[in-house]
Amino acid sequence: MLPDARADAYGEHSPCFARAGPSTMSIVLERLARHRWLTLFVAARLAAMAIALLLLAVHLVTKHDALLALLTLGYGVGTIAAVVRWPRLQREPAWWALDCAAALAFVLVGDEWRSPFYLLALTALILPATTLPFGRALGFGLLFTAAYFAVAVATGVDWSTLDSTARLESFSTHLMVPLLVTASLAYAADLLGRLRAERARAERLALEAERRRIGWELHDSAKQRVHAAHLILSAMGANGPVRHALDELETAVADMERSLHDLRSPLPAADLAHALRVRAAELARTGSAEVTVTGQAPQLAPFVSVHAYRVAAEALTNAVRHAAARRVAVHVEHGDAGLVLSVADDGRGLPRDMEPGNGMRSMHSRARALDAELVFRSDHSGRGTVVTLAVPHAPVQEDQP
Amino acid sequence: MIRILIVDDHPALRAGLNAVLEAEPGFVVVGAADKVEQLFPLLHRTRPDVVLLDYHLPPDDGLRLCRRIKRQIPPPRVLVYSAYADARMRLPALLAGADGLLNKGAGARELFETIRLVAGGRRALGPIGREQLAAAAELVDGDAAPIIAMLMDDTPVPEIAKVLGVPAVAVERRLDRMLDRLRVETPAEPIA
Repeated sequence: MLPDARADAYGEHSPCFARAGPSTMSIVLERLARHRWLTLFVAARLAAMAIALLLLAVHLVTKHDALLALLTLGYGVGTIAAVVRWPRLQREPAWWALDCAAALAFVLVGDEWRSPFYLLALTALILPATTLPFGRALGFGLLFTAAYFAVAVATGVDWSTLDSTARLESFSTHLMVPLLVTASLAYAADLLGRLRAERARAERLALEAERRRIGWELHDSAKQRVHAAHLILSAMGANGPVRHALDELETAVADMERSLHDLRSPLPAADLAHALRVRAAELARTGSAEVTVTGQAPQLAPFVSVHAYRVAAEALTNAVRHAAARRVAVHVEHGDAGLVLSVADDGRGLPRDMEPGNGMRSMHSRARALDAELVFRSDHSGRGTVVTLAVPHAPVQEDQP
Repeated sequence: MIRILIVDDHPALRAGLNAVLEAEPGFVVVGAADKVEQLFPLLHRTRPDVVLLDYHLPPDDGLRLCRRIKRQIPPPRVLVYSAYADARMRLPALLAGADGLLNKGAGARELFETIRLVAGGRRALGPIGREQLAAAAELVDGDAAPIIAMLMDDTPVPEIAKVLGVPAVAVERRLDRMLDRLRVETPAEPIA
């Protein structure tokens, strides 16, 4: 029986919006801090809602202003709560369309194109404009404008408007604003996306250059000196303490070879789950174990994904080589608790009196570098091992379409 | 007396080799070079019996250098002495015309014995197994097999050329290309 790594690792931490108490609030605040476009949406919608309510209170708009105010409040708060609770909605075209339709319906009900709900309708453009690629975002803005025009015609545009400069100016402004909002937001989001990609690339290049430098120094200097020391020492004979010193030097060379091998193997792709699937497929080809990889993680900062990948790869190797596992389950998840990665096998488990070897030491040092928690769980009875790496602060390259 | 020329780019290793070899009766170190430019003048001047050659010699690699050294008349014996010497390097070393191959992790005794063996006209490359041949076959063209086979059988290049009915230079060029394909990767020098 395979230990259920998923339940073990996530059971306690599954995010729940409905749960009362400070944790809900902190989850909301953390989401807002991480996603600037979501913050913009929430702030703009709150402001537009307040303005609509104020206008409804001050002026008579329809005969049912009280009901309309109640609906506005429900709509505003409800949509904000929904996108914060289910972040998936932020990128869901059906949701955008629904949101725009609802907002424009308010304008229609208000029976006037210069509506207190116009600003509320504009806020429905923020999420699509910042999520879609530039061209499509503009298309969405155009569709919105066309829909607004249709609503305006339906509420009855006084065509004598066209004779009054002030009214014409006001109407065309109402038509232009959605386009301008969409274009500028889409442009900003596009630039931010490029900036982020460029930063990730620069970070990756720096990381690779650093690895090359360390590899070079290790090979060119440290290893050569150890070889020289070994050679000189070995000329003195090979008994007692000399033999011991030679053994130590040989181990040092083996350690360096291992590090060099690590440094030479290429950095894994930024998509952690994909990189692990590739590794799992490699292992499955050469070994007898069946390796499954489940879950997804967003694009992580290279620093995080490299270390997390190596920890998982080492755990996989251990499971297949040393624990003689037949089945290994890898699970990747990124949630409010950060990145959680687990490798569960059905092998013989960790020996009770195990001395941590080179591989395990390197796993721990990588976990420390990430400020992460690394837990090995095994009941020593031959019922498998679960290795869990929890990275609480795993920077995500967020807002990527 | 066996006259030895050391070619290695690391000063610690040159010093260590020099000290250890000089202390061994029957050996004399006639020179040490750390760069390719120094090597050939030194080779002409000192006429060593054995060249102890590092594999990793940026910007060149030791095996290509080995081919150049073996073109000298008369060619010295060449022992490739490398931190990367393992089973994978045996076939490339053979193609490069090396007489011996030794890992830098070997002790002084083993080094002395290998030098004596190579100086005595024997080959000390280690066995080239089926595995290495199969791995190499994936990297070189199929019709390279007869050349590899003849080299493993100690056939000199002019004779291989005669058997194949091509000029000797063609075989040499062919060997250069095969060596390029069979390169053993070592860490790259970082771009400053």
